Order: sequence, then structure tokens, then C-alpha cells
Amino acid sequence: MDKWECMVCGYIYDPALGDPDNGVAAGTSFEEISDDWVCPDCGADKDLFEKVG
Amino acid sequence: MKHVIIGSGVAGVTAAQAVSRADPDAEIHIFGAEPYPYYRRPLLWELIAGSIETEAVFFPPAAWYAERGITLHLGARVDKIDPQNHQIRVEDGASIDYDRLLIATGARCFMPPCPGNDKDGVFTLRTLDDALAIKAYAAHASRAVVVGGGLLGLETARALQSVGLDVTVVEYIPYLLPRQLDSEGASVLQSILEEQQLHVITGAATAEILGDAAARAIRLQDGQELPADIVLFSTGIRSRIQLAAEAGMKANRGIIVDNELRTSAEDVFAIGDVAEFEGIVYGVIPAAIDQARVAGANMVEANSATYAGTLPTTTLKVAGAEVTSLGDCTADGAEFVSFRYVDLPGGKYRKLILRDDHPVGAILLNCSDQVRPVTQLIQSGVDLADYAEHIVNGEFDFSALLKKSAV
Repeated sequence: MDKWECMVCGYIYDPALGDPDNGVAAGTSFEEISDDWVCPDCGADKDLFEKVG
Repeated sequence: MKHVIIGSGVAGVTAAQAVSRADPDAEIHIFGAEPYPYYRRPLLWELIAGSIETEAVFFPPAAWYAERGITLHLGARVDKIDPQNHQIRVEDGASIDYDRLLIATGARCFMPPCPGNDKDGVFTLRTLDDALAIKAYAAHASRAVVVGGGLLGLETARALQSVGLDVTVVEYIPYLLPRQLDSEGASVLQSILEEQQLHVITGAATAEILGDAAARAIRLQDGQELPADIVLFSTGIRSRIQLAAEAGMKANRGIIVDNELRTSAEDVFAIGDVAEFEGIVYGVIPAAIDQARVAGANMVEANSATYAGTLPTTTLKVAGAEVTSLGDCTADGAEFVSFRYVDLPGGKYRKLILRDDHPVGAILLNCSDQVRPVTQLIQSGVDLADYAEHIVNGEFDFSALLKKSAV
């Protein structure tokens, strides 16, 4: 599964880790995260992330 | 429709994204005074610290803009707005028409009027060029004084420390992070930082920077001299309101905007560090993003979104300390009641502030697992009158409190 990077602050979403503090279980691909999820570090919308492989 | 955005920072770029999302056929132009495309300001400390290369601050790639119908005009400083004729003028003389204009010119650093502040080695940190200049200068320096013990000052101090400098932070207020902490929480943080050899002097004002062409030391108002090859002022920001003010828009500290992020000029919007909403210039990224979302929608379709303010949230992460401040965290006065938990040896501190039994702010030091429940607690506006005992009896477990309040 691909990692995705926040273009605002540089946070990297790693599917292996998920974002459990915000209800995203480890193993969740970026595409599967709900659209109202935002960057846990800066609050950027999901569509402000770019795939970094 | 043609959208013109002045400013290529986080506010301008995220607004461009919001416009293109609402209208994929929109024509969008971003004018940036700096020669660089958008870069990530929060990474500038890592650049100074040497943990990333310059290229890593740039993101997204050029294709990102092209795919969204966004044209970048870099090194293009706008020097006039003509709202009557729906035009802006770029410094080289070109005039550009717009249907909707967004001002996202951000802020500049405030440099206090201190004798000697024009010497070599005296810096503020705002732009990539600032960061590169500091990094280059630091390579030949051994001691630094950071004036200003706020978030940015402490981040910069830590970055300079990590490249081997001996760093002292000087704060005018009697404690660190005066906008995020109270004195009790700040003393916990200060002891954590001092354990890591960061020197902290609070309640002190800078009188003068000493040296010939280059800074050699700073003298405090009590006469104490601190040797310093680098003096970095981190003493707040000032919104860049000049363009808007000259064009007749209402401005105070920032450009005054309504709850749709409109300025007083027709078809002109303002967001981010340059905008003032209900008396507040937020000056933080989450507010810029919230405002960009609303402004972008309204630029495409009038009255389609409203802005109700942003819960101010800031987090400082340094080795051994994670400080999060939420909402009205420094509120003081008869109408506020606060509950505190202090664990000095454990380096932990928590504080919840209530007004009329409703939580309005919190400070969390090294309690990162509590950030989310406390944020929800504040946003929900829940009445905590019946649960105050859970706080005062020492439990102070926000998660449990949230569950109880949900029943």
C-alpha cells in the first residue's frame, strides 16, 4: 500500500500504522479513509495529500 | 470565471485547491512575491537543523498545479489592487483582470526597534531565504540568543542547538509560551528544556545588540550581557495589510473579513495571517486551511459556505516535551474556573478551563493521548457542572469524562 504525504506540513500517512488516534485502524489504505478525515498534524483536507509511493 | 490569488503560501495554495474542487473549469492564477513555489514553512526548522535537504521543503510538484488549472506567477509582487475596475497590478507594470480576488499575503516578522538590530548575524525567520541564511551563518557560529520564547522561538532554538550551537532563549514575559501556557505549565516545560542544556531567561528585555559590523553579544535591560554570534528575533508577526488598506478596504490589525471571508470590497476575499475575523488574526495554519475552504467555495458560488472561527490548537514537539494548547487556554478572570493537575517529576501538566460550566480551553503537557478527547469536549460545548467532581477528585481522565457526558 502507498504512503501519502501532506502537502501542507509534510506529515506522511503510512497505511501500516494508520491513524488510530483519529479512528483509522492500522492497515487502512489511504483510499479507504473517509473523506472527512484531515491531517492529524495540521488539519489539511484529505485531498491535500499526494501519493509518495 | 477568473480567480486571482495574491500569495503563494499555505492559505493561497489551499484556497486554489478549494476553488478548483468547486469548479474544475475555473481559471486560477496565483501571484507570489517570492521566487519559489509553495514550500512548507513547518519544515524550515528541520532545514536549519540539517535533518532535511532544501528540496524536501518543496511540495507539491509542478504537475499538481497544472492538473487543477492553476497558473503560478512567481517573483511577481502585486503592488496595487483596483477593486472598482476588478484589476490588480504587478510590480513590473502588468495589469490583470479578475472576477474574484483573494488576498493571502500573510504576515511578516516583527523586529523590535532595538539598537544594533541591523548588524550581521541578526535574523528573523519567516521565509525559505531566511532559513537558508540562518543555516549558512550558523555554520560559522557557536552561540545564539533567541529573543522570544513562543512556539516559533523555541522551535528555532532547538534547531540551532541541534547544529551544535549553545543557545539561550530570552522571553519578556516571566514564563515561556505565554500564549499557550500558564506559569505553572511553563515551569514544567522550562525544566525539561533546561535538562537538555537549553538556557532560558524569562522576564527579561533586550536593550541593545553589541558588536561592530557583526553581532557579538546582546545586552539585556538589567545590564547582563549574553555572548551571541546569532541573534534571532521571534517576537511576533504583523499582517501584510498595506495593499488592501491602500485600496480602501477596511483593516485593523488584519484585513477585516465577514463570515464568508469577504473583505469590504466587492468580490475581494482575504484569508490566513492577513485576515482578521471577529477581532482575531489567528496566525496559525489550521485557521488558514479552514478559511481557505470557505473562501474557495464562496469565490465560486456566493453564499455557499460560512466560517465560524477555528478552535486555536497549537502543538510544540521537542525532545521530551509535547505541549498542546486548545482554545481559550490562557483565560483569566472571575467568569473562568480552572482545574489543574501537576506532575513535576513526571514532566506532566494538565489544565482545563471552564466558563459557566462549559470547557473553553485546555493545556496538555506530555498527555498526547488526551488531546483528541479534550478537543471533542471543548467543541461539543458540553455542560460539565455535574462532572466537575471527577476533575477535582484527581481522576482527571478526559476520556472517561467524555463517555459520561455522552450518556
